[in-house]
Amino acid sequence: MLSSSTTRSRAALGPALLLLALGLLLTLTACGPSTGSTGAATGTGVTKAPDTVEPLPGEPAPQLPATVASADGRQVTVASADRIVPLNGSLAEIVFSLGLGPKVIARDVSTTFQQAAALPVITQAHDVSAEGVLSMHPTLVLADRSTGPAEAIEQIRAAGVPLIVLDDAKKLGDVGPRIDTVAAALGVPDAGRQLKERTEQRITQARAALPAVDRHPKVAFLYLRGSASVFLLGGPASGAGSLIEAVGGEDAGTAAGLSGDFTPLTSEALVKAAPDAILVMSKGLDSVGGVDGLLKLPGVAQTPAGLDRRVVSIEDGQLLSYGPRTPQVIREIAEQLYPAAAK
Amino acid sequence: MTTAVQKKTVPLARPRSRTTLVVVGLAVALVLCALLAAGIGAYRIPLGDILASFAHRLGLGGHPLDRVPESVLWNVRLPRVVLALLVGGSLGCAGALMQGVFGNPLAEPAVIGVSSGGAVGAVACIVLGLDAFGNWTITAFAFATGLLTVFAVYAMSRSGGRTEVVTLILTGVAVNAFCGALIGLFLFTADTAAINQVTFWQLGSLAQATWGKVLAVLPFALVGLALAPRYARPLDLLALGERPARHLGVDVERMRLVLITLVALLTAAAVAVSGIISFVGLVVPHLLRMVAGPGHRFLLPASALGGALVLVAADLAARTLAEPAELPLGVLTALIGSPFFFWLLRRTRTKQGGWA
Amino acid sequence: MRLRTRPEVPARPAPGTELLTAEAVRLTVGGRELLAGADVRVTAGEVVALLGPNGAGKSTLLSVLAGDLPPTAGEVRLLGRPLAGYRPPELARHRALLPQSAALSFPFPADEVVRMGRAPWSGTAAAAEDDAVVAEAMAATESTAFAGRPFTALSGGERARVALARVLAQRTALLLLDEPTAALDLRHQELVLRVARARAAAGDAVVVVLHDLTLAAAYADRVVLLTGGATVADGPVAEVLRAPLLSEVYGHPVEVLPHPRTGVPLVLPERD
Repeated sequence: MLSSSTTRSRAALGPALLLLALGLLLTLTACGPSTGSTGAATGTGVTKAPDTVEPLPGEPAPQLPATVASADGRQVTVASADRIVPLNGSLAEIVFSLGLGPKVIARDVSTTFQQAAALPVITQAHDVSAEGVLSMHPTLVLADRSTGPAEAIEQIRAAGVPLIVLDDAKKLGDVGPRIDTVAAALGVPDAGRQLKERTEQRITQARAALPAVDRHPKVAFLYLRGSASVFLLGGPASGAGSLIEAVGGEDAGTAAGLSGDFTPLTSEALVKAAPDAILVMSKGLDSVGGVDGLLKLPGVAQTPAGLDRRVVSIEDGQLLSYGPRTPQVIREIAEQLYPAAAK
Repeated sequence: MTTAVQKKTVPLARPRSRTTLVVVGLAVALVLCALLAAGIGAYRIPLGDILASFAHRLGLGGHPLDRVPESVLWNVRLPRVVLALLVGGSLGCAGALMQGVFGNPLAEPAVIGVSSGGAVGAVACIVLGLDAFGNWTITAFAFATGLLTVFAVYAMSRSGGRTEVVTLILTGVAVNAFCGALIGLFLFTADTAAINQVTFWQLGSLAQATWGKVLAVLPFALVGLALAPRYARPLDLLALGERPARHLGVDVERMRLVLITLVALLTAAAVAVSGIISFVGLVVPHLLRMVAGPGHRFLLPASALGGALVLVAADLAARTLAEPAELPLGVLTALIGSPFFFWLLRRTRTKQGGWA
Repeated sequence: MRLRTRPEVPARPAPGTELLTAEAVRLTVGGRELLAGADVRVTAGEVVALLGPNGAGKSTLLSVLAGDLPPTAGEVRLLGRPLAGYRPPELARHRALLPQSAALSFPFPADEVVRMGRAPWSGTAAAAEDDAVVAEAMAATESTAFAGRPFTALSGGERARVALARVLAQRTALLLLDEPTAALDLRHQELVLRVARARAAAGDAVVVVLHDLTLAAAYADRVVLLTGGATVADGPVAEVLRAPLLSEVYGHPVEVLPHPRTGVPLVLPERD
C-alpha cells in the first residue's frame, strides 16, 4: 500500500539519521579524553622510576647457529639474530637487557618501555597476526605459551621463521630460566649468565632491604577495569602471589581459597577476605578514578586496606613481566606497602 | 475522578479476585525476598544485628554495629538489593508496556534498540577509555545512546505522521544489527583488558551498586512506574488493533510516542547501571498474563512487582551460589528463566490449544 | 488522554436529522484514486446499505466516513461539523465501526472485549449503565453463553458476534458496519441485520456494507451503489435494485424478482 515515493524518502532518511547518530557519538568520544582527568593518583605519592630497561654494558656478538628447546616440545635452530620480534613486553625486556635492543625490529602493545617506543607495533599479545609479523621479515620470533592464536604461531613457523615458545613466567623462580632460554636462542649465553646473576643479586638486595614486620600483611591483587564492571581478585595462578610473598605479604586470593588466575568476586567476599593492602596495575587504578575512585567501589572502603588507603599501584607492563626489571618492581611494591619504613 | 471511574467500570468478580490475589502475593513475596537478600551475603551478619541496625537507623532503639559490618550492610548490601528491586521493576514494567504497545507477546524493549544502543555507548566508553564524567561515564553514555537509538528507530519508521508496527520492528532489527556491528568494530580495536571489561558489562551485573546509582535510577523508575498505569485502559483497547482503538477514542500515535519514551527511559536507566539483563522484560509479563489474564490494569503493576521479585532473587543467587565468586546476573536470569519459560509455554499450549 | 472536564453525553439526534454527510469525496493514495466522487447522506433512524462490486471502494468509503482517512477532496460532516474538527474521544461517542475482521492481540475474555466498547463513556454520566449495556449487547448478539471464554479461543462466528456486541455497547448514534455478515451462518446473518434494524427503529443511523443484495433488499431503507469509487445510485431499495443497473455495475447479468409472498425484491445472478 505504501507509495514508492514515501518508501524512497524513508530509505534516504534512515542512513542520514544513523550517520548523524554516529557523528554525534564520535564527537562525544573525541572530546572525552581531553576533558577527562588523566592524573594517576597513587596512594602513597612515591615517585616512579622512568619506564626504561637497563641493558648490560656493550652489545654482545651472537654465536649462531644455536639450537634450543621450545616449550612446546620442538627443537628450534636459530641461524641469525639480526631481526628479532619478541611477541610480548616481558620477552622484549629480556632481549633489550641483554644488550640486543638494536636487533629488535617490532614490538607488541605490551612493550611499553622507552627504548622500544620508536618500534612499530605489529600485534597484541592474544591477537597475533601472522602476516603482520612476517611482513617484518624476522629471523627470530619469541613467544610465550599464552601467545595466540595457535594458528598464527603455526603460520609463522610454516613460513620458515624460527619461533621459540617459552613457558609463561608466573613466579620469581622463572626469571633465571627465562633469561637463560632467551640468551641461548640469541646465541649470547655469556651475556645471559651475566644478566641472570645481576638480576638475582638485585632481587636478593631488594628483599634484604625490606623492613622487619611482625605480621605478614594480606595483599589482594585486584584486576580493575572501569567502575561499571565487576572486579576480579587474583588467585594462586594470577602470577602476583610470588611477588607478594617476596615482599613479605600473604596473597589474599589464595588465602580466601580461590583457584585459577582471576575470579569475579562479590563485594562482600572482598570485605570478608579483609586484605590489609590492595595491589593493582596503574592503568586499572586510573580506570576507576585513582585511589579515591577505588574506595568508592562497593566493598573496598570496608576492607582494612580501604580504611588505611593502603593501595599499591605498579605499571601494567612491569608488574607481571618476570624478568630483569623484577627487582625494581619488588622495591616499588615494598616502598608503597611499607610507606613509613621507606621514609 | 479516576477512582470514581474505576469503581463504575469494575469488571465481573471472576478475574478481579484472581488478579488481586496475584498482586498481593507478588508484593508479599517481594518483601520477603528483599528481607532475605538483605540478610544473606558472603560477609556474615547475624539476623539480630541486622534488625538492631535497622531499628537504630529508623530511630526505634537498637544499636549500630561495628564499623565494618555496619558499612557492609548499609553501603554494600542494601544498595544492591534496592537497585535490583528498581532495575527489575523497571524492566518488568517496560516489558509489559512494550508488549502492549506492539500488541505482540514477543516484543521486548530490545526490539526498539534500547539495549544495543546502550551497549554501543558503554562499549565506546570502555574501549576508547573515556572518563568525561568520572565513574559515571559509562552509565551516562549507555543511557544517552540507548535513548538516542530508540528515537532514531522511531523517527526512521515514521511516515506521514504514522508509524506502522511492522516498519518499527524491522527498523529496530536493522538498527540492532548496525549497533552490533559498531560494537564489533570497537571490540576489534580494543585491547585485551577492554575486551574483558566489555564482556563483563554485557553479561549484566549489579556488583557495583551504590546509593548513587540507586538515586540515578530512582527518578526514571518512579516516573515510569507512576505514569504507566494511566495507560492501562488504552493499552487494553489497543489489543483490538490500531483502528478499533482509535474508534474508541484512543489517540494511538500520541500514546505510542509517550509509551515508547517511557519504555526507553525505564530500560535505558536500567541498562546503564546494570548492563544487559535479558529475560525479565520478555518473560515476566508473559508469565503473569498466563496466570491472571491480559488486562493491563493488573499486568503493569504486577509485571513491575514480578520483575523486581525475579531480579532481587536472581541477584541474591548471583552473589551467593558460587560464593565468594560473583555469577553474571544476566546469564543467570536467562539460564534459569529460559527452560522455565519453555515449560510454561508447552503447558499453556496443551491446556489452551495455543494463543492468538 | 484524560479530559479535564467531564465530557457531556451527546443528545440523541431526532429521527430524520441528517447525521452524516459526505459530498464529492475523493481519496488518492499513492497515485491511485480509490474514491472518485462518492456521496452519502445518512439520517437518524434509517439503515443504509453500501453496495458495489469488489474494489468499488465500499470499505475505503467507510474508513473515510469513520474519520480514519482524511479525504483528498470533498468533505465529510458529522452533525454539520467537519469530521476533522472532532478529537478522537469525542468522535468515539458519536460513531462506532465494526471492522471486517476481528483480531485481538491478547486473550481477553469475551465480556471484557465487549466492555471495551464502553471506553469512550468512561468519566461520563453514561458510565453508570456500563454493566447493563454490556449485558444487553451480549444478549442481543447471542454471545452471553461464552462471556467468560477467551476471545482468541472462540470460533470465527462467535468472534464476529462478540465484535458486533462491542460495537453495539459503544451506544453511538451512528453505526458503521463493514460486512458484518461475512463470517456468519444464515441464522446469525439474519440476527445481525435484525439488530441493525432495531437500532434504526430506536433512532440510530446504520450504514452497512453488504455483498448479499437480497439481504440488503430485505433490511435496508436506502441503498447507495458504488462503482469505481463513485456513487452511481442512491435511493430506496426498489429504485436502485433494478436488473439493468445491477447487471451493468456488477458486470454480470442479474435478475430481480419480487418475493412471491412479501414482494421484497430477490436479486439473483442469471444462470443457464
